[in-house]
Amino acid sequence: MTTSETLQPLVAAWLPTQRWFAGKGRDATSTVARLAELASDPEVTIWTVRVDYADGDTETYQLPLVTRSEPVEALEHVLLGTLDTDAGPRWIYDALHDKDVTPAWLAGMRDSQTQGAVRFIRYAEEPEDIPVDEPSLVLTGEQSNTSMIFGDVAIMKVFRRLQPGVNPDIEVQGELSRLGAKHVPRLLGAVEADVDGEPSSLAMLQEFMTTGTDGWELAKTSVRDLMAEADLHAEEAGGDFAGEAHRLGTAVAEVHADLAIAFGTREVAADQLRARSIAMDERLQRALPIVPQLEDVAEGLRKVFAAVGDLAEGVTVQRIHGDLHLGQALRTVSRWVLIDFEGEPMAAIDARRELDSPLRDVAGMLRSFEYAGHHRVIEFGYDQQLSYRAGEWSKRNRDAFCDGYAEAAGADPRTHDVLLRAFEADKAVYEAVYEARNRPNWLPIPLASLTRLATDGGI
Amino acid sequence: MTSIDDRPVPPPDGPLRPEPDWFKRAVFYEVLVRGFADSNGDGTGDLRGLTEKLDYLQWLGVDCLWLPPFYSSPLRDGGYDVSDFGGVLPEFGTIDDFRYFLDAAHERGIRVIIDFVMNHTSDQHPWFQASRSDPHGPYGDFYVWSDDDTRYPEARIIFVDTEPSNWTFDPIRKQYFWHRFFNHQPDLNFDSPDVQQAIIDALRFWLDLGIDGFRLDAVPYLFVRDGTNGENLPETHEFLRRVRKEVDRDYPDRVLLCEANQWPADVVEYFGDPSVGGDECHMAFHFPVMPRIFMAVRRESRYPISEIMSQTPEIPANCQWGIFLRNHDELTLEMVTDEERDYMWNEYAKDPRMKANIGIRRRLAPLLENDINQIELFTALLLSLPGSPVLYYGDEIGMGDNIWLGDRDGVRTPMQWTPDRNAGFSTADPGRLYLPANQDSIYGYQVTNVESQTRNTSSLLQWTRRMIQVRKANPAFGIGTFTDIGGSNPSVLSFVRAFGDDIVLCVNNLSRFPQAVELDLRPWEGSQPIELMGGAHFPEIGELPYLLTLAGHGFYWLRIPRVQQWSGGPPASDQEGLS
Repeated sequence: MTTSETLQPLVAAWLPTQRWFAGKGRDATSTVARLAELASDPEVTIWTVRVDYADGDTETYQLPLVTRSEPVEALEHVLLGTLDTDAGPRWIYDALHDKDVTPAWLAGMRDSQTQGAVRFIRYAEEPEDIPVDEPSLVLTGEQSNTSMIFGDVAIMKVFRRLQPGVNPDIEVQGELSRLGAKHVPRLLGAVEADVDGEPSSLAMLQEFMTTGTDGWELAKTSVRDLMAEADLHAEEAGGDFAGEAHRLGTAVAEVHADLAIAFGTREVAADQLRARSIAMDERLQRALPIVPQLEDVAEGLRKVFAAVGDLAEGVTVQRIHGDLHLGQALRTVSRWVLIDFEGEPMAAIDARRELDSPLRDVAGMLRSFEYAGHHRVIEFGYDQQLSYRAGEWSKRNRDAFCDGYAEAAGADPRTHDVLLRAFEADKAVYEAVYEARNRPNWLPIPLASLTRLATDGGI
Repeated sequence: MTSIDDRPVPPPDGPLRPEPDWFKRAVFYEVLVRGFADSNGDGTGDLRGLTEKLDYLQWLGVDCLWLPPFYSSPLRDGGYDVSDFGGVLPEFGTIDDFRYFLDAAHERGIRVIIDFVMNHTSDQHPWFQASRSDPHGPYGDFYVWSDDDTRYPEARIIFVDTEPSNWTFDPIRKQYFWHRFFNHQPDLNFDSPDVQQAIIDALRFWLDLGIDGFRLDAVPYLFVRDGTNGENLPETHEFLRRVRKEVDRDYPDRVLLCEANQWPADVVEYFGDPSVGGDECHMAFHFPVMPRIFMAVRRESRYPISEIMSQTPEIPANCQWGIFLRNHDELTLEMVTDEERDYMWNEYAKDPRMKANIGIRRRLAPLLENDINQIELFTALLLSLPGSPVLYYGDEIGMGDNIWLGDRDGVRTPMQWTPDRNAGFSTADPGRLYLPANQDSIYGYQVTNVESQTRNTSSLLQWTRRMIQVRKANPAFGIGTFTDIGGSNPSVLSFVRAFGDDIVLCVNNLSRFPQAVELDLRPWEGSQPIELMGGAHFPEIGELPYLLTLAGHGFYWLRIPRVQQWSGGPPASDQEGLS
């Protein structure tokens, strides 16, 4: 049996090489502890790794491992190392990549098992809805978690960094599934455990949208079609996206309505908005040294943020998606579906569950249309004509999205222009900082938007 | 009691063998007798002319011809206004010419189905003449008569361009008669047992001649009832079951193809009871799939097609859809939403003359601006989506239309055989042709004709022929299951057709630009796909997403062979029970 003492040095060397490990380059010590054993032949275990940083921060990670008595070639890329035991050498792999053992998670959920400190929960009504016999495949390209699809029917997301409390994605999808909401994937199951005495979410299993593609890809298709035409306007091009944008707006409004039913709403008085206004202003202040180009528009932006503090009426807040953009919307054969209600994974769970104005989600989507419209300008270099038409595409689809939203919500988000503009500007400031640090050639997109938001009154 | 030997059977010498599900694998070809070939130089195509061209159709690979009406008719609706259900329009020939044509087709392994208009007749039909002049005579109740024009207000008007009402006053009988289509096409009164029997007798007349089935025109409207829209009524289904029973009892291997321009969920009703494999029509047209293909390609998004496929219900075991890109009618847009219709009109009917009723009167090639890549992609979709494909005469060579001709005549011009006078269709004076041959600089017969495309191995005609051959070599296309497999790229439509070991993966780039797509093909891990046109082997399917790149409007048909388990030793023999 693998023990924490023998495992410790392997984990210490392996952890910093993993993409989902946030503490790269920081001075830290790690401590492994066994959470549960899911199977014995081969041995499948779940471990926690507590990382204590020199500066006093701590983080806890989850590590599912499989112990093999022979090397497995297909798992070479996730080998932690080998251990010599009394029974002979043992190869230790990341269990999530081993499709021979991943069914253990599904079987656990199907049967609502408890294994040591780990509790498996089935949300699906029927045990047969858990696809235990489908082979798993880990998806590439994920940053903070590890996800795998089972056949083409279910997807399991395993949270790498553990935080006390129920993960908002499970909480929201569980409630919305219960309400029968059609614009979110159905939650099938979840795994949780007591870690350091606090219940934490380990994994979730949900319906997989086989025929779905994300809205970002679909929107790019439309932009590509438009840009290939010499002089057509966005509404004349064959690949016009406005119909999709309209339906997406409707879908988002319906999800907001469901969230309000599931988790309730609260009124925020006008004077409380002042704090919000100040926070946005401060974010701008912190961005200035990082993005000096913001100086030109700072004056105008301050007015945009100040206007929020001057609002005469309060706003209604509720649970929202929190990180909504085209990439979080899947077009399936029958409808738009929103995914990933996790919020910002690095933020504390309580912060991610805070109520906020649904206009923040709307602003996030409007920003995304701006990015989609202009992405070709970035990829192909600036050209005035291209840029003008990108703006036309964005405007048309932003409007169509708001129209669709208004139709379902009964209220047009554009009537709250002060708040919506401020949310959009706040988000664009964040983007400007991100782009300046990571992708300087994309910086013109948020900068152009901020210029627009700081000068003209329109949305 | 009828013994088995008394039953009419197809000519025994022909290569056609009894094959109950032939229509599921068949490639259909719609041919207008008037427009195909003129044997006697009178400017109008005829049955003898069509017979002479059967070798061409056999060479092309067609399995079954569909002939729109060639009955006696005043021809005010392309022959759909029948004035004698048992007679051939004199300019097309005689009933003997038809018999000769039918035998010649069967000898070449080609089946023939003919149009049959159940719903109405021409106002010139003797039944109507008798009905209007003698209300109390034997034909008095053959049509739907009324003293005023207010009954059945819920029934929509179908030909909105020409008809203000479904009722028209007859000055002779001094009553209004009911018509769902033109006012010269009175609807038959199916509540009359005599009408039902007369129609069944007419069907039997043609079945006895040896035809292989009917395309039943305008089926949903047979009956009309107060308080309903007069479509898809239970009485209509009851009558179709009666027709089917007659066919099953006396005429094996014949097929009933229903024309019901309705949503698939309503059309499936016309297949009848699924528990017995269907007891109404064998086939029905799938109308919405066609405009969706056009829309998907124009939008460069697979969703218009994927959506309609996912909304298409299961059909009974012994049934099949018929699908088409274009036919003799306008590209009908009844089965799309208003938003989609506006979109289609904007994209495909830029000139108002291109519109007709609620549709677009154009042929395939001009709809696609003669873009050979798009024409090939559309044809590939037609030949690979679920259902039996119906080609429209002339589309295999990319014929054009003439939007300056009236009504739907623009897509009914003479077949273009050669660059010679009248496109080789007729020896008549050009002015005498039923419609002028197309002389357009792109689509005209001097450029676009069978002769030149037969000589050119890279022509659309030769390509279409090869595609038909490939389709027929793979039963999965006709009778296989359909699974949309999604994929990473919304511009690429990928689906698998599977029948037993015959598994074909179809990947279609709906965009005019090159695309890459990643597909999850894990169920076939270890197989090495083979491209069906050329036989090239593609890389082995692994666990990771399968990457394919496609040219603009490009497509692949890839056979996924079963993984060879044999590992070098002698093949394992079946020794069960011996050890």
